[in-house]
Amino acid sequence: MKKAILLISILSVAGFTAGPVLADGETVAVFTKNQTNPFFESIRVGATKAAASVGVKVIQYVPIKPDSIPEQLSQVEDAIVKKPNALLFTPVDYKALVPAIEKVTAAGIPVTGLTDKLAGGQIVSFIGAEDYRLGLETAQSLLKAMGGKGNVVALEGVKGAISNTDRMKGFTDALKEFPNVKLVATQPANYQRLQALQVMENIMQTHAQIDGVFAANDAMATGVVEAMSAANRKAFIVGINGSQEAIDLIKGGKMHATGSSDPFMQGCLGMLTTVRALRKMPVKKELMVTPVIIDSVNYKQYDVPVATRSCPKIDDVATN
Amino acid sequence: MSQAEAVAPKFKITLSRDVIDVAYRLLAVALICIVLSLVSDAFLTTNNLLNVLRQASLVFFMASGLTLVILTGKIDLSIGATVGLSACVAATIIKSTGSPWIGGLAAICIGALVGLGNGLMVTKLRIPSFIATYGMLWVAQGATYYYMSGQSVYGFPPGFRALGSGYLLGIPIPIYLMVVFMLLGNFFTKRTTYGQQIYAIGANSVAGRLSGIPVNSRLNLVFILSGAMAGLASLIYLARLNSAEGDIGETLTLPTIAAVVIGGTSLFGGVGSLFGTFIGGLILTLILNGMNLLSLNANWQPLVTGLIVLLAVWLDMKTRSKTDSN
Repeated sequence: MKKAILLISILSVAGFTAGPVLADGETVAVFTKNQTNPFFESIRVGATKAAASVGVKVIQYVPIKPDSIPEQLSQVEDAIVKKPNALLFTPVDYKALVPAIEKVTAAGIPVTGLTDKLAGGQIVSFIGAEDYRLGLETAQSLLKAMGGKGNVVALEGVKGAISNTDRMKGFTDALKEFPNVKLVATQPANYQRLQALQVMENIMQTHAQIDGVFAANDAMATGVVEAMSAANRKAFIVGINGSQEAIDLIKGGKMHATGSSDPFMQGCLGMLTTVRALRKMPVKKELMVTPVIIDSVNYKQYDVPVATRSCPKIDDVATN
Repeated sequence: MSQAEAVAPKFKITLSRDVIDVAYRLLAVALICIVLSLVSDAFLTTNNLLNVLRQASLVFFMASGLTLVILTGKIDLSIGATVGLSACVAATIIKSTGSPWIGGLAAICIGALVGLGNGLMVTKLRIPSFIATYGMLWVAQGATYYYMSGQSVYGFPPGFRALGSGYLLGIPIPIYLMVVFMLLGNFFTKRTTYGQQIYAIGANSVAGRLSGIPVNSRLNLVFILSGAMAGLASLIYLARLNSAEGDIGETLTLPTIAAVVIGGTSLFGGVGSLFGTFIGGLILTLILNGMNLLSLNANWQPLVTGLIVLLAVWLDMKTRSKTDSN
């Protein structure tokens, strides 16, 4: 019995049993990449809150298998049949989903891009954050905290992922501003916690002095925190995502900072922009959310449940 | 008296064959170690070797149960997902009750239950193990995602954390656990009727059944053990990482299968050993260790890993065919 309930819930999470489209008020279908990353949960909360504030219904589409291309493709097909008024769309793959989105626009449904830019297709507007700036500003915060000197280690995410490429480019550019900091190792840990722990344990064997660690996401940064504290070593550690776990580690003095592309705000602005376009209000072609560097000084304002934060008003969006 | 005499020499022969087997298994490891100690000063230090063994222990826990499954000629693709599910449930239980014991028990029970499910699908429903456990992978993973709904659980009591990050007499605790389980597992597979039956089923399940081995119940047993070991591994994971989230099991399955196969266990069943699996896991761990010590460029790492794995397996096959012909 319990299993049956669970299965049904999983299906409904995936959007298979999402309710029918109602005639009153617009309906916006929101596509995110997975259930597992709190980042997308924040996006969904932001989008839902914004939608509620303007009387819009939301259908959430999330692949069961994280970042699954075939699943998102079939969910897009499903959306075309259900005919929502618009799509707020984060592709699981920026190339593979282009033809599907072309079909959506051909069916007369406008699409707003969110978080990851598609390589093609027509979109009304794009809302996101620049990973380059996120990497750059997070790295600058780290290198400043190190006093502009010492040894730094970088842990990369998934090779070939644009987010990783851009964040690492930001890191490299920040490093150029601090000529007295020496980059002693750059190693991949694929955005994974366990790999980051093991890679850091290994790197510590060759480098007796490590003053700072740049990890391209928070999961890896927390792995680094565990590796270093188990070895009784200290360094300034930064990650990216602004996760609650990272904020708690910053509070406890174990991490220096986490860069956030403010997913809640992305969800808000994505939804509000979509609705503005539907209601023939002016929208920007591209809206970039300012990165936020959360550290020991300012963490308090982000140390609250996402659901308690509030979105901007729909009339304030265009100038935001 | 005469019975004892008859048993003694036979025991001796099997032991020496095991020793030869072990020696050959170690060849690839020795080769990698020699190369690494030549190119990196940091490799051959007590600290680093303990570090490598501690990392290898996690692979061993997951791979040891899987080895039993593969020895019977079946496969368990749900290992990683089971680790993820067990870890997440145990983590929330430890957080809410404050008791690592209840959490630990839950992790192992959930693992065993998932294993039982796999076993029943294979023995009762006659679903090929590849498909049955592939389905289970999604069920367990889906249940985990639903259960966690995108959140992570972190911050466990220090007493529990010692299981993964503690030391006893200067040696990390997971290494002791690994040795204990290796000895237990070795005894189970080599010296008990159960173990011999597992090998026999893998070698020829029809002949096994005809000779009176309760094939189905042994198959259920190996799947349950595989799940329970995944549950145990999830505890080591939690204690080491101090955190659990829905996706932790995703990347664990393939390296675990690789460790078993690199260790010389045949995917067709009947041939292999737990010690071999330990070696397989050790080789994978050493490769990562070496690449990190040398700061090998990220772009080259997958290629190098692939080549060394192929080399290790080839070396193993080469030496094994020699012992077989002796």
